[in-house]
Amino acid sequence: MPTPTYIPLQTITLGSAASSVTFASIPATYRDLVLVINGAMPTSGGEVYARLNSDSGSNYSAVRMTGNGSSSSSAALTSNRLGFFYTTGSELANVIVSLMDYSATDKHKTTLSRGSQAAGRGVAAWGSRWANADAVTTIAIYHEGGDYPSGVTFSLYAIEA
Amino acid sequence: MQAIQTVTVGSGGAASITFSSIPATFTDLVLVISSRLTLGATSSSLGVFLNTAASDTSYRVLRGNGSNVASETNSGQQDFYVGETAASSATASTFGSTQVTIPNYLGSQQKSMSADQVMENNATTAFQTISAGLCTKTAAVTSLTVRGFAGSSGNLVEHSSATLYGILAGSDGTTTVT
Repeated sequence: MPTPTYIPLQTITLGSAASSVTFASIPATYRDLVLVINGAMPTSGGEVYARLNSDSGSNYSAVRMTGNGSSSSSAALTSNRLGFFYTTGSELANVIVSLMDYSATDKHKTTLSRGSQAAGRGVAAWGSRWANADAVTTIAIYHEGGDYPSGVTFSLYAIEA
Repeated sequence: MQAIQTVTVGSGGAASITFSSIPATFTDLVLVISSRLTLGATSSSLGVFLNTAASDTSYRVLRGNGSNVASETNSGQQDFYVGETAASSATASTFGSTQVTIPNYLGSQQKSMSADQVMENNATTAFQTISAGLCTKTAAVTSLTVRGFAGSSGNLVEHSSATLYGILAGSDGTTTVT
């Protein structure tokens, strides 16, 4: 019997600019989550990031590798937010995030994210960690550069083990 | 995620694999490819184009080869470059693995794409690539073609395969979004 994957939990297409999108009341009945963001980005650029369970403390860390079309880089960082990708300018971008074992209560939470902005920042892969063993029930998504424009879509899926 | 169609290349190989009449019933598309090309080299470039080939695609990539890493960009291409796959001089029977994601393939916006690829070679040199692609077509995606990049990087050998999946967004009635 095939294991169900990409079970739709909720999706939103912004009808007007918004500073954040929050998925809440996420059921603890699945193993992993996948978040897909697609659309134009805030013109001023910056980091696509999230906060889990409203935690704004310095409890996040990440490693990343990036290619902008001419050079590559890698870095490690600690932060008060869960980083997914940097964007540059208003060009279309995709951000695809896997959040593993989100409902477990015995481990810190980790994400793998892939960001793509062919006409802007370029391409990147991030591995990020939230140093908290709580089950994730809320994901709030922001952009360092300000409001997400109208038309951006955010979809959250679940994967069963 | 639901499988839409799998195509496996038969004896004699094929210049390309095309999925046509893609149903307009999903939100995103995911294309998974196992490929090897006939070009007389260790590796060769793999490409994907949407609907009909036109010089409307740009990309930026990050690529490692087992010893070095590089980033490059290109525009005005027919194909989205999704990475380096195994070719004729690679270890026998090795193939490259690729996943391409196309969100909002029915939308009226340009199409922003992502690809991850690893090339199998059982040797020191083997490529790993992550790619960001942008196709300026604003029409819904109704067909997808996989081939040696721009049609000039060799044919797909027998046993190469591609599977197209559809992902449908929606609500479970419990999770909220604001």
